[in-house]
Amino acid sequence: MDWSVIYEYRELFIRGIFYTIALTAVGIGCGTILGLFFSLGKMSGNPFLRIPAAVYVEVFRGTPMFVQILLIHFAVIPSIWDVFMPEQAPPSALFSGFVALSLNAAAYIAEIFRAGIQSIDPGQMEAARSLGMTKGQAMRLVMIPQAFTRMLPALGNEFISLLKDSSLLAVIATPELGYAALSVAKNTFERYPPYMTSAAIYLIMTLFLSRVVVRGLEKRFSSR
Amino acid sequence: MKKNWWKTLTFALSIGLLLAGCSVGGDKPTSSGDKVYVIGTDAAYPPFEKMEADKITGFDIDVMQAIADAAGFKFEVRNTGWDPLFDGVEKGTVDAGISSITITDERKQKYDFTEPYFEANQLILVGADSPVGALTDLQGKKIGVQSATTGETVVKKAFGDTYEGIKGYEDTPSAVDDFFNGRVEAVVADNGVLSYFAGKIEGKQYKLIKDNSFAPEHYGIMVQKGNTEFLTKLNQGLKIIKENGKLQEIHDKYFKQ
Repeated sequence: MDWSVIYEYRELFIRGIFYTIALTAVGIGCGTILGLFFSLGKMSGNPFLRIPAAVYVEVFRGTPMFVQILLIHFAVIPSIWDVFMPEQAPPSALFSGFVALSLNAAAYIAEIFRAGIQSIDPGQMEAARSLGMTKGQAMRLVMIPQAFTRMLPALGNEFISLLKDSSLLAVIATPELGYAALSVAKNTFERYPPYMTSAAIYLIMTLFLSRVVVRGLEKRFSSR
Repeated sequence: MKKNWWKTLTFALSIGLLLAGCSVGGDKPTSSGDKVYVIGTDAAYPPFEKMEADKITGFDIDVMQAIADAAGFKFEVRNTGWDPLFDGVEKGTVDAGISSITITDERKQKYDFTEPYFEANQLILVGADSPVGALTDLQGKKIGVQSATTGETVVKKAFGDTYEGIKGYEDTPSAVDDFFNGRVEAVVADNGVLSYFAGKIEGKQYKLIKDNSFAPEHYGIMVQKGNTEFLTKLNQGLKIIKENGKLQEIHDKYFKQ
């Protein structure tokens, strides 16, 4: 076992950490915004909003992320560029990674939001409405703030999954941390050093996410 | 009603499993007459070896069949995967390996090889109107390779181990895909594999450049160190199919250029 390969290929790992963080951050950001819309769509009384949102959630939750990544990178994005911008090359694997992570996270986050909002006593909605608020105001000012506190642990789980799942992007040669480990392992025939190093880095990152970020948010938004 | 349904299902499943078990058992040859050699391969490297439905096919398998016919022995192909293939040959659980294995001095120390049956070159796949004439012209550009192949090694040798432009894909088709998608500007890989895949994508303009700074490699069939008996048989068969044009015939079937 030769641990010096880690030092030799340190650039790959450092680049990998950077891109893994960037991918996760974008995935969380876009996924949360999209997820909120899809959850509202799913709870909407209008079937033209409800059905597409429900289909979206089922499709992205019910198919493997690995397959979604391959489909988005090798099929969907090239086709879109082919149709709308034929003289331009489609963007790099990093862009495909952002898209795949965001779309996948949105489906899970939509369900977390829905569960959170539906766990709030309907009396809250009725009370807000009887005070003269519109449905949108009641949602924004009364329901979602209360639901958010309850959703935080589940959201934390989803963020951690997303961070770990970003390693699947290695298959389309996105220069993230999983790719660094795979590439070093394949080229040096060292197994323990690259995989253990990347596992340790992922663990540090997920611990930071759960202990610092999510716990901090929980404290800040605690109603007790 | 519900209970009955479950019973029927369980019964059907167990009968099914039992039958499946029987038929698998029944397939195994019980006679110990002719020795059937076990040939290992990693059937994930078309056109050299690939899984077609439940059969292993490809250039290497055809070559092996021709050798076996010429030298008069029987064999069965087993899809062992790459790393276990080397283990298997070393321990003798696999009689020989044919899997586009490049004959290298390192490997020669642990295994014996037949005469070469294929010469591989690294080629560069670029667009039809690309000004690139050699690997060094690709400095600063994105280059697709299959991870841990000679293609990646030559790019790393030219531009450094952690060169940011190297895109190491899991397999060569993905790299070729992204080349035609315009995400990488070139692909460096073995001639056989590259011309096979590039030829499969129709209606696109490309050219394959040979950089003379890359040393050619030779594929050989690998046997356990010291297994001269089987090695001699293989070399005899190989010699026959080289002389009677059978090897060339198989070659032309896979690699039209």
